[in-house]
Amino acid sequence: MTNDIMLLMPLIIVGLGGIIVMIASAYEKFTIEVAAQSTAAILAIAFLTQLSNSISGNVAVFSETFNSILVVSTFSKAAGLIILASGIFTVLSSVAYFKENRFCTSEYYCLVLFAVTGMLMLTMSHELITAFIALEIMSLAVYVLVGYNRDNVISTEAVLKYLVLGAFAGAFLVMGVAFIFGATTSTNFAVIGQYIAANGFMQTPLLIGGSFFVLVALLFKAAAFPFHAWVTDVYDGAPIPVTGFMATALKTAIFAVFANFLVVDDGMHAGWITYLFYISIFTMFVGNLIAIGQQSLKRMLAASGIVHTGYLLIALVAISSQDFSGSVIAFYLAAYAAATLGIFAALSYLSGADEKRKTFDDFKGLAKVRPYSAAAISIFLLSMAGIPPTAGFMGKFYIITSAISAGHVALAVLGIVSSIISMWYYLRLIISMYFHEAEESFSDILPSRLAPTCTFVLVFCVFAISLYPLIV
Amino acid sequence: MNCWPQKVRLLKKSTKKGALDIMFADWLFFTFAVIAVLGATGLVLFRHPLNGAMSFIVTLIALAGLYALLSAKLIFALQLIVYAGAIMSLIIIIIMFLNIQPEDLPHEETKWMYLIGGAIIVMPIGLFMVKMVRTLPNISTEIVGNNFGGVKEVGIQLYQNWLIPFEFIAILLLVPLVGAVVLAGKRGKNK
Repeated sequence: MTNDIMLLMPLIIVGLGGIIVMIASAYEKFTIEVAAQSTAAILAIAFLTQLSNSISGNVAVFSETFNSILVVSTFSKAAGLIILASGIFTVLSSVAYFKENRFCTSEYYCLVLFAVTGMLMLTMSHELITAFIALEIMSLAVYVLVGYNRDNVISTEAVLKYLVLGAFAGAFLVMGVAFIFGATTSTNFAVIGQYIAANGFMQTPLLIGGSFFVLVALLFKAAAFPFHAWVTDVYDGAPIPVTGFMATALKTAIFAVFANFLVVDDGMHAGWITYLFYISIFTMFVGNLIAIGQQSLKRMLAASGIVHTGYLLIALVAISSQDFSGSVIAFYLAAYAAATLGIFAALSYLSGADEKRKTFDDFKGLAKVRPYSAAAISIFLLSMAGIPPTAGFMGKFYIITSAISAGHVALAVLGIVSSIISMWYYLRLIISMYFHEAEESFSDILPSRLAPTCTFVLVFCVFAISLYPLIV
Repeated sequence: MNCWPQKVRLLKKSTKKGALDIMFADWLFFTFAVIAVLGATGLVLFRHPLNGAMSFIVTLIALAGLYALLSAKLIFALQLIVYAGAIMSLIIIIIMFLNIQPEDLPHEETKWMYLIGGAIIVMPIGLFMVKMVRTLPNISTEIVGNNFGGVKEVGIQLYQNWLIPFEFIAILLLVPLVGAVVLAGKRGKNK
């Protein structure tokens, strides 16, 4: 029982912390700096609590009281750690960002905490209605964060697009839940799994339709083909730290619930495997095509996020519902999160007032003026491209070997091809930073300690995550 | 974990009532369903937002009728009081505050093209849904006993089987509240 409380503690700490920060925001003394520090502290405490929990197998938290709705496993623990760490780095890089872009209020940080609450719940929920509520908590908080800069037209466009399309996806999810309930008379993953094991997946059209709608909603949130069109605009319109937060924490939460939902039973996974196979191929190559055409750095990173969704879908194709641990997915998410958060942390302090440095050309000659920042960005880009010895390489290595051992050699080969294509746009930024003369002195960048520290901590993380499997 | 025993009860064939009552209930169901769909269509197609809102009220009331057919007493009452009543009057007041004139509305010349194109694209999904619905077992609509759907029964369900989602709705409501203050509130200074 006491262990159950500890397993829930990160969720409780972040949820309560969000409410406390919200109430404290009403006071004049609670400045945005204090808000940022307390938010980072709350997330750090939750992170350490999550880290200290030892879990073996699937543990239903308070299974009597909560009716086995929340289930904790090593996968949900790892996903929770990635989400909490993303939250901490987002908050810290926001501090530097809001020194240059002055539209912050202290409610910003309580919304980050609420978003993290929703995400943590999403990783644990083994029940569709709870998953929907968690998804909406997360989405609603992120909608507001995307549109935080009300004076920016692009930002307003982004929030409107995201809100309307996101609500649409939410409606699909509810419809899917209703159909699944109609077929199995339950929304609990365990009961759905038992039903499929007893009656078969393909024999129940209601279940096929229901899971189709649920998958549509999840694919939309994960920005997979053919629901990827919103990504570039929304990521472009959001403030830089929020873009980083969406690309990492949100994606982690979605893939956690996605994997949990797919492995309810073999029948479910087998029923969708062919479609996921093609979706992952299209997601990778469409993402690459979009990324190659971009001039803006944020849009390129958004499009590369689509490509990474494609790799994660490969991992989903390759999982098996027997002894599912999700370690490949969690590892890739951690590797991707470290690199993405790093580059967005660096952009938070390099982009200057009103995010004026946007395109590849704006970063010409950065290596001459700020050699350390340029080196850090290069390491993050190489990690995303999958060059050894970075974490990105190990992540891709695991995904591709898991695809081969699951018998999907074609998928593995296409993953490698897509990874080679992606070098084009990652190396482009490195070339423009290192092999061009500086056109400006980057002297307007305000001195800040937090965001550069974040960046270099994340450089360390990129190598540490890559070495982790060798040490342990 | 089967939290909703009414499904099982609904599946039982009606034996007490006569065939006429069942026919009547079926007719009621179809009437409400058609009205609900028509209202929703009106919400999308009406040009002026106020007409759309009025049309939406029709949908909400028709849905309340469907809940009543399912013996969901509390949800039926809440649907009428909260959704069709309170929330819709708020929405209508806001639309009236905005004082939208016909010239404020955008010209939507391509509206029908998009509608028809969209209908063609979602057609396969629609056909599949028809197929799904046809596999549903025959369900008779009769009043379920044991005070099913009453305040006490729904409350017991919520607190015994659905504690976590029920409590987390609190945060779900809190987030848009903060969000509305942030996005629509007075533009404050940085502290």
